[in-house]
Amino acid sequence: MAKSDDDICILQGPLVFGNVVIGMCGIALTAECIFFVSDPHGLYPLLEATENNDIYAAAWIGIFVGFALFALSILGIVGVIKSNRTLLLVYIILMLITYAFEMASCITAATHQDFLTPNLFLKQMLERYQKSDTVNNNERWMTEGVTKTWDKLMLQNQCCGVRGPSDWQEYMSTFRTTHSDADFPWPRNCCVMDAQGSPVNLDGCKLGVPGYYNSNGCYDAISGPMNTHAWGVAWFGFAILCWTFCVLFGTMFYWSRIEY
Amino acid sequence: RPRHPGTRTMLPLLLLLLATAHSLADKEYVPTLATSPLGGLKTTSTFVLEQPRCAFTKVQSDAVIWLVVAVPEAVANFSNSVEPGTPERAFQGFPDSTPAYMTLNTTLLNYPCPKPPGEITVLRVGSETSCATDKTRPTCNGPLPGPGPYRVKFLALKGSKPVAETAWSKPITLKTALPPSSIPATGGGRSTGMIALTSILSILFAVLLAGLVAMLFFWGSHARGSGTFSKPEAVTVRRYNTHHVYDQPAARL
Repeated sequence: MAKSDDDICILQGPLVFGNVVIGMCGIALTAECIFFVSDPHGLYPLLEATENNDIYAAAWIGIFVGFALFALSILGIVGVIKSNRTLLLVYIILMLITYAFEMASCITAATHQDFLTPNLFLKQMLERYQKSDTVNNNERWMTEGVTKTWDKLMLQNQCCGVRGPSDWQEYMSTFRTTHSDADFPWPRNCCVMDAQGSPVNLDGCKLGVPGYYNSNGCYDAISGPMNTHAWGVAWFGFAILCWTFCVLFGTMFYWSRIEY
Repeated sequence: RPRHPGTRTMLPLLLLLLATAHSLADKEYVPTLATSPLGGLKTTSTFVLEQPRCAFTKVQSDAVIWLVVAVPEAVANFSNSVEPGTPERAFQGFPDSTPAYMTLNTTLLNYPCPKPPGEITVLRVGSETSCATDKTRPTCNGPLPGPGPYRVKFLALKGSKPVAETAWSKPITLKTALPPSSIPATGGGRSTGMIALTSILSILFAVLLAGLVAMLFFWGSHARGSGTFSKPEAVTVRRYNTHHVYDQPAARL
């Protein structure tokens, strides 16, 4: 049985190392997901209004999975060093459950990222921006969120519409029903503003003179942070899971080699 | 004095030529949309025209230039002598009861010739929303009621007498807005990355589950195997060396 001892001794080192890495990655995953959930770019109302905020659900799961990975990695290290079968069995089973949750989070984030297209935000903007007749409180909340977010987006990023100001001309919108086309070819926030928050040249803005209105679209400002968010959750989680697979497989092998 | 035989026909012909030449001269200018790049050149209810600079060269500077906007069907029988401000030329009735209206009146002094380079000299047709339904303002520059097409021309009036006019513009058609429901299906397709991620993770998870099952089975069979007889003492055969064993070969030498 000397050979078995050697096997075990050889495996202990890599397994402990593997668990240390899992622990650190778990902390990193928790931190990253907390960052995403805190919504630093203020884009959550847009997602909320699509009634599909899977990316945020994935990030929330990521927070708890990261913490679980950290705790379980400590259990794993203790189990490997002590060569305790019970501990390691508990470790393996709990790790598999955590693995399943993290898998769900990764797949959800990756799937939802495909869902976020320019047309989605265009349709939402046209239907919800400055909508005044809302049916219930929930809709009013979502509509106000969309309006405030768009106003902030257009002001801060010097952009207009999803693809450009022509969005407001090519399509009818709820905004158009309350604001006439002659006075508001596009919302006021599409105009270049001065320090006091009023347009530098209102006539120039209405005419569309370059320099007095924002001629580029806001889609980059929306999709950039959202793609980072989705990729961060999905692919970092995927990397962690690949590593965890190796460690778990090694732990199973180690467990079967421990003397009873 | 004997007259040239041809004078009888020549003189009226000459007069006719002169008359047509005179009325054609001012019709050289064709109103066009603004030439500089503007985002709002044509919207769903407004459009931007280039100002008629250097269009009225023979007109005195105290004449008033009016813009005439008409549906293309009204161009043929348009009469210059109908005065602006009358119900036949009121914006509020356009296009149902009045096929043409007159607006944007200003003196020729406001269109100095030549045009300074680099300046944007435009007229926005349809910018006044406040008087669009006010019948007391028949010369309102109100928003156009539909996508058109429309044809415009400039008319110079002295008092109430037309003195000059430009040619009719080509038909101008405004933008038509589509409903948001016409935006194609918003759901995106499946990207290759997401398919790869899903399949790889599923395979890995399946392998792990298989490994767990094998592990438990192995444990089960191992436990069953040792259950038939009492659990042996935990004996580990340790390799032990004694000086005695190693000394012997040394002693043999």
